[in-house]
Amino acid sequence: MGYVAVKGGTEAIEASISRLKYERLKGGEQVDVSAILSSMRLLIDQVMSEASLYSPELAALAIKQAEGSMEEAVFLLRAHRSTLPRLYYSETVEPERMAVERRISASFKDIPGGQLLGATHDYTHRLIDFSLLGETEEERKRWLGKYEAELSGLEDASGDGSYPKVVEYLRSEGLFETFKPDDTEPDDVTKNVFQFPASRSERLQILTRGQTGAVTALGYASLRGYGQVHPTVGEVRVGNLPITVQAYGGDDGDDSYYIGSIRATEVESFVPMPSGGPDGKQELRFEIGYGICYGQNETKAIAMSILDQCLEHPESDAPSHDEEFVLLHVDTVESTGFISHLKMPHYVTFQSKLDSVRNTRKGRDGHES
Amino acid sequence: MKRRRMTEILIEGNPELADRFASEIRRHHPVRELVAPRQGLTMIKMRETARQSLFYLGEVLVTEAKVEIGDYIGVGIVAGAKEQLAADLAVIDAACRAGLSETAGWNAMLEAEEVRLAGKKRRELAALEKTKVQFDTMEE
Repeated sequence: MGYVAVKGGTEAIEASISRLKYERLKGGEQVDVSAILSSMRLLIDQVMSEASLYSPELAALAIKQAEGSMEEAVFLLRAHRSTLPRLYYSETVEPERMAVERRISASFKDIPGGQLLGATHDYTHRLIDFSLLGETEEERKRWLGKYEAELSGLEDASGDGSYPKVVEYLRSEGLFETFKPDDTEPDDVTKNVFQFPASRSERLQILTRGQTGAVTALGYASLRGYGQVHPTVGEVRVGNLPITVQAYGGDDGDDSYYIGSIRATEVESFVPMPSGGPDGKQELRFEIGYGICYGQNETKAIAMSILDQCLEHPESDAPSHDEEFVLLHVDTVESTGFISHLKMPHYVTFQSKLDSVRNTRKGRDGHES
Repeated sequence: MKRRRMTEILIEGNPELADRFASEIRRHHPVRELVAPRQGLTMIKMRETARQSLFYLGEVLVTEAKVEIGDYIGVGIVAGAKEQLAADLAVIDAACRAGLSETAGWNAMLEAEEVRLAGKKRRELAALEKTKVQFDTMEE
């Protein structure tokens, strides 16, 4: 049997796309992009993070178009991103400049500056709130008015929103290794196909744009025994990072252009590692796993910090220390794209396999007879 | 006022301020548009705190515009899809580079807006500090 080129299906595809729109519209109620922007903060954060494109407005639009499908929304943003020119590279963003809205430590009760809970679901009852079914605009306005009135009575804070890093406190005590700033230009996986072994900058870039579920699953696998990293979270912080660029004749920090800020979650995990002491005896020391991602997505950032530390130690045979295993399987578009392509026509390849099975059986049956 | 400080006030503050400054310049000087407001990307270079190395965090959508006033080119860049603000920032940038007389009166307004922004930020910080944990040690 030879290959047969086929065509057709155009009308069916057009009808299918109309059907898709019908499914989106038939309920009669539609959510505006502005409503998604104002009420789906964490979903927007996740889409931006996995798309590696920070734009809450575009993410909200993609969520609406994708009917809430994460993988479709991320795909749409990635595709849109590929149509835009890269105009600038930012100046180096130094994490200590974050205007912090939330920071907690699982390692110390008393941290310099204190633990700031900010906005979190961590301490809420995970019970469905049926009162939201009937929530009215009037109730929302009343609650907001009351909350803002309470805040208006507060004395202004004296700080600027920056807090000292827990890790720097430990470094100053000599408990953690210190590193000088390394200004080596990073590699960029969006410009060049990376090769193994990947550089640290490539690993961090791939992890931070990784699918939340995949990064979380592999981080969890490491904790369960498919890796040798079980950290204590030194610090989780959520806040806004200012972004500046140099353009047209600028050459110093004061001359740069402030373009806005991005919200991010940043994590340092403390990982105990056995090492040889000066007297030849085994002793414990700590290393740091680093995680960061767009928006507020603490589970992903913590999982990334675990995987960062795993990949710093490829000498382990555990799967989560295998950079090929981790880095090639966490990207949303790559993994969902490859899995979903399986439903696309494979008529020829499957016929070939069927022919192979038939021939094998024919030969076997002939041999047996 | 240095560009870093001025652009932060204009972007974080009331956008009417940028509109007012740019309109003033457009009324009195010919402004030639070199690059109409367009969307593009800025790649964010980030330092990580574990080993102090650099990596790329991802891209941010920006709007960029370029104008020319006399022999001076001005650039406006702002995160997000904000065409009017990018165009206004470009005009303001060119005016500052050219040292136009109108810019002399801007500092006072910028500083006033900066004070307003600082007050707003302090109030937001005060609200966040309500979520700061006060630990009580349990005694035996």
